[in-house]
Amino acid sequence: MSNIAGKAYAMNVITPIRWTTAWLNKLIFWIALKRPSTLRGLITLSLIHYARWVIIGKNQFPHLDSSQPKEKLHYSYMLFFSNFNGSWDQYVDSFTFAIPGGLDLFWKWNIRYPKSVALTPFHHYIRYNQIETIHYYNAYPLATSNDVKSAKAVKDALIQFQCQSADDESDDNFLQRYNALLRGLQHDLGAMHPTPIVSMSAYQVERRKRWHDGSLQKEIAAQQAAQGGQNHDR
Amino acid sequence: MTQKLDLLDIQGNIIRAYGRFGYPMARYVFFNIRHSARAREFVGTVTDRVTTAVEWGEGPGQIKQPDWTVNIAFAYQGLKQLELPRASLSGFSPEFISGMKDRRDILGDDGPSSPENWDPIWAENRKNRDKDVHIFIALNARLPALLEEGYAWLTGVAKQYRDAVAILNGHRGEHGALYDYQDVKAVMENGQPTAKEHFGYTDGIGDPVFEGAPNYDLNVRGRGKQLEDGSWAPLATGEFLLGHIDEAREYPPAPEPILLSRNGTYMVYRKLHENVATFDAYLDEQGRKYPGGKELLAAKFVGRWRDNGAPLVKAPDAESKQKFDAEFAAADQAGKDKLLSDFTFDDDMSGAKCPFSSHIRRINPRASLQMVKGSKPGSMIFNKDAFDTPGALSNRRRILRRGLPYGEVKDRSRDDGNHGIVIMMLNTDINRQFEFVQQEWINYGNDFQEGSDKEILLGNHNADNKFPSKAVLQVDPNSDQAPYMLSKIPRFIETRGGEYFFVPSLTALRMIAQGVVDPT
Repeated sequence: MSNIAGKAYAMNVITPIRWTTAWLNKLIFWIALKRPSTLRGLITLSLIHYARWVIIGKNQFPHLDSSQPKEKLHYSYMLFFSNFNGSWDQYVDSFTFAIPGGLDLFWKWNIRYPKSVALTPFHHYIRYNQIETIHYYNAYPLATSNDVKSAKAVKDALIQFQCQSADDESDDNFLQRYNALLRGLQHDLGAMHPTPIVSMSAYQVERRKRWHDGSLQKEIAAQQAAQGGQNHDR
Repeated sequence: MTQKLDLLDIQGNIIRAYGRFGYPMARYVFFNIRHSARAREFVGTVTDRVTTAVEWGEGPGQIKQPDWTVNIAFAYQGLKQLELPRASLSGFSPEFISGMKDRRDILGDDGPSSPENWDPIWAENRKNRDKDVHIFIALNARLPALLEEGYAWLTGVAKQYRDAVAILNGHRGEHGALYDYQDVKAVMENGQPTAKEHFGYTDGIGDPVFEGAPNYDLNVRGRGKQLEDGSWAPLATGEFLLGHIDEAREYPPAPEPILLSRNGTYMVYRKLHENVATFDAYLDEQGRKYPGGKELLAAKFVGRWRDNGAPLVKAPDAESKQKFDAEFAAADQAGKDKLLSDFTFDDDMSGAKCPFSSHIRRINPRASLQMVKGSKPGSMIFNKDAFDTPGALSNRRRILRRGLPYGEVKDRSRDDGNHGIVIMMLNTDINRQFEFVQQEWINYGNDFQEGSDKEILLGNHNADNKFPSKAVLQVDPNSDQAPYMLSKIPRFIETRGGEYFFVPSLTALRMIAQGVVDPT
């Protein structure tokens, strides 16, 4: 298992909530969506890809087949699902440092929610209710959500720049436009390199060692070659 | 909520940056424990001479300022050898227990900074029990002769306990010679100690101010935490001292019993080599191309001008710098401190004055992370009230810094001389404070929306061409300039060793010495 893929972390937290108060939570979500200013802090935390809160009623869990035993649940549940860049600590701490009030509002009615400040009980609450990610795929392991947004901005600006180019453009005019292009992109030109280390699991440490001495790249290349061969046979 | 700290119980190096209090030189000595019970007696003997944080004075009933100071700290292995109970040991933080070497991946200590290349005392640490670094003792002095006096005292005590503790050799000095101690001292100019390091920057400005520290209310602006209404407040004591309430309104996690941890803290010791030739050459090369000239470029690396530390947000160009200098020259000590520290990035959200990759913006972004892209291309704007408090993302990442340079630059055209800085950083949570800043803000840039761009001066820039380092020096979005690109930034700083230590209170030291630490 790993909650991490490339620079992204997937977090699932599921917490019980009484059905008698679940509707209040739904109301709060509805208001938050209607008034975008309530989510301003969340949006300013640029390490977050997105965050989603869903209330699942006690009878709404999937029942796939009549042979599946029926569960008897006492509570409704709130599922929190988010993808972000950085470590678990950085994410949870950014939340509590920056928007403790918002967190408390969203989790207010959840059973035994300790409030987001002080930090240690909140850490324990999230850890205890977190469901580890069994499978997690990331198509762009080197990219953060900021990197993706920046790449799109650079692409759009470049296309626009090219469209505005003319064969008879003067050198001065070109330089001016080129400088304006760079200036407009000055917060979108960060490099995209391997991720800083957040995991100290034995598997990841060993993998990094192999990456550093070059053997991991060779293994991957060999693997790909073998797979390519297989496909070809078919 | 104001509280008075028990300064007699707190070690002096936590509260005072000795270099700024008339102690421009120091010697750091490290010990390996050979006999636990006798080593506890050794700790007791040293404790009697430990310098506390108490205010000095000449009056009756006051403690006179000492000629040399003594402070002591312990690595995890040392506390184990001193036979602290298991229940106390397991209460220390995981990164302190693991030690700095084990955290190399987190800290980015790779290539020339990797532990194989550290000074022998650090390379051998945690490899072989007889070479483990257990105890750290620091002597700071006013004059060279007084430092020798302090050292003679310490070696005398060590001799008395030679069955119990051994001084560890292996600090690299001139021409690769190995020493029993690490000497540090201020860089001298015309026979006077300065606040400069070997690249020529003024160091040691703007230490955080926290509640209860002496005179904390006098210089809180720019050094405490920034509030919505433009005022400043001291940071919570618990960010720097265990056993006190921190910014999350709780006691920071600490070992039990509370008497062991209260008024103590964690110390990060790091020996950083400075590649002066590489730095000079890169600055010269880029300085010739940079429109603002070489000195402004040097200032852009750090966010402060080299000569007097003038912050770029106050003096962004040569003209404003001249005005700043006149004001600075006329100011008294308190006025100078205010000029250097009392600023925000609120009027420089796009980084046109102080670049996002510069040293001071990376290690203490103040309120500037409360930012979003503006409608003008290339601009960032202050997203007022987005966070609970403007400095929400910075206030829990602050660190007390106690550094002095080591060695001397004899030949500026060579990197391999004996020159650098030994920095000691104090915080109550190594992982949340020091390691976070090192990993996310120095060696990475996503929080600043700069991708993998690193902090210019301290970043672990890649020597190979696989992932070359660069930085963008932003310009005013309303100007007609282009941002300047620093390309292929070489590694200016290399780690030469270090370890995590615990700095106990005087109460805890006495308990350790007597073997009475007891969490039951």
